[in-house]
Amino acid sequence: MIIFKNIQKIYPPDVDALKDVNLHIKPKEFVSIVGRSGTGKTTMMKIMTAEERPTKGQIIIGGWDITNIRPRDIPILRRQIGVVFQDFKLLGKKTVFENIQFALEVCGVDATRSREVIPQVLKIVGLTGKEDRYPIQLSGGEQQRVAIARSLVHRPKILIADEPTGNLDSINSREIVDLLLKINEFGTTVVLVSHNREVINSISKRVVALDNGTIISDQKVGKYIL
Amino acid sequence: MVLSSFLRIFKFAWQSFWRNIWLSIATITIIVLAFISINSLIIIKLVTDTAINVIKDKVDISLYFRPDVTESQVQEVQSYLTSLTQVKDITYVSQADALENFKRLHRQDSVIISSLDELDSNPIGATLQVQAKNIEDYPAIMEVLNNSKYSGLIIDKNFDDHQLYITKIKNFSDNFNKIGLITSLIFLFVAALIVFNTIRVAIYTHRSEIAIMKLVGASNWFIRSPFLMEAIFYGIIACLISIAAVYPILNFIQPYVSNFFLTEQYSITNQFNQYFWEIFGLELVAIILLNIISSLIAIRRYLKV
Ligand SMILES: Nc1ncnc2c1ncn2[C@@H]1O[C@H](COP(=O)(O)OP(=O)(O)OP(=O)(O)O)[C@@H](O)[C@H]1O
Ligand SMILES: [Mg+2]
Repeated sequence: MIIFKNIQKIYPPDVDALKDVNLHIKPKEFVSIVGRSGTGKTTMMKIMTAEERPTKGQIIIGGWDITNIRPRDIPILRRQIGVVFQDFKLLGKKTVFENIQFALEVCGVDATRSREVIPQVLKIVGLTGKEDRYPIQLSGGEQQRVAIARSLVHRPKILIADEPTGNLDSINSREIVDLLLKINEFGTTVVLVSHNREVINSISKRVVALDNGTIISDQKVGKYIL
Repeated sequence: MVLSSFLRIFKFAWQSFWRNIWLSIATITIIVLAFISINSLIIIKLVTDTAINVIKDKVDISLYFRPDVTESQVQEVQSYLTSLTQVKDITYVSQADALENFKRLHRQDSVIISSLDELDSNPIGATLQVQAKNIEDYPAIMEVLNNSKYSGLIIDKNFDDHQLYITKIKNFSDNFNKIGLITSLIFLFVAALIVFNTIRVAIYTHRSEIAIMKLVGASNWFIRSPFLMEAIFYGIIACLISIAAVYPILNFIQPYVSNFFLTEQYSITNQFNQYFWEIFGLELVAIILLNIISSLIAIRRYLKV
């Protein structure tokens, strides 16, 4: 599903963010990526969504070599990858419903189809009934669930979560991780970046540890090391 | 689909317009100033061209013949002059007509009228009014005439040299054009800069929406087009305002123009209206192009997709 082949990333002029990363993630896998701050985890995410180009190597997503993707093809790639971040990235002036609708609307999906899809994704994340609230009227965990709902509208094959629990307490973090596991069970490949030892240790899935731009361990049922 | 995306883009431009209303007003004002400056150039050009034509039409040479010169001799001179390439038109005023004109001119003066009546022959000769094709040709026509065998038949030649006026008008119009052109170019340049900046600010204002649009896979054109539309929008509004502004300006200068031409018949507004579509059509196209270019530069620089 996701193949990193000898990926190197140098941010100009000389930041060596990734050095020769090789990683193969299979369809429907749930992979956690752990590592200290500044070791290149976010850089890996950005390479998968074509926000950054690798300096060297090859990156393949779902059989599609996106190493030298044309700018106009990037939107097509991004509709197949759901992304969530630590800071939710919701629009404060829009309600839950409108925030999700926005993601559909800007991809040219009409209102009728939106009204079908939005209740479905809200149900998955367990926010049915809260569609008219504004982000500020929701807890952090609920806001993150809105962001996850939004990332699901195009039925992505891959969901990338970069520190989704970074701003949440342990109960909310647990709920978000459970939600990601549930989404994974539906057949979506999930890549989770996390600092949270407790979270990683409770998942019992594959863990890839990154240090200083290189993969230092890759365990099938891993624990948080370092 | 096309309609709904057009509506979306339009709605976005409209909201963006209100969101930074003072910036929008500044942007539109500077474009309107550019238009007014250009339109002033056009108006001055129209007025001075008309003025020069009016003066050129008024210029002619009057040839006054001796009273004893016969009609056939005058006609010989007329056909000789007609054969000259520089001559456009000749009006023949017969002795009788010339006398009538003279009498009409002096009808208040009973002494002149009565002494004319006492004469048994017509003391006033025939006249030929010669119009040249070009105002520059008059000296040449005079020259030819002076060297011809007919020069003895003519008592007087009357040539008002309007060249001076024409030169003055041309100088005025040339100088005005120079200043006006520079001013217009400066305004256009500033307008382009301000449009660039306004679009940059609009991109900044919408940065969270843009980030999310990119994230969820909105197409590049979908993200960019509203900003382009916003820039076009400013051009259209500014063009409409400058159309509304031009007529008061025309009405304001109309009395001065009438005064200059000594006629109420010439309407600067009517003349301007003849070129309405050329002027505003071109200006609209030009400003839209200019705004597209400066907003595209802003989009390229600040809206990385
Ligand atoms: N746009 C950029 N330009 C230059 N250097 C960058 C850029 N983005 C990241 N870096 C550098 O690349 C390295 C890896 O950054 P990255 O964001 O991938 O780390 P990370 O593992 O996600 O860290 P964290 O856990 O703190 O989020 C860091 O040294 C960072 O300073
Ligand atoms: Mg990071």
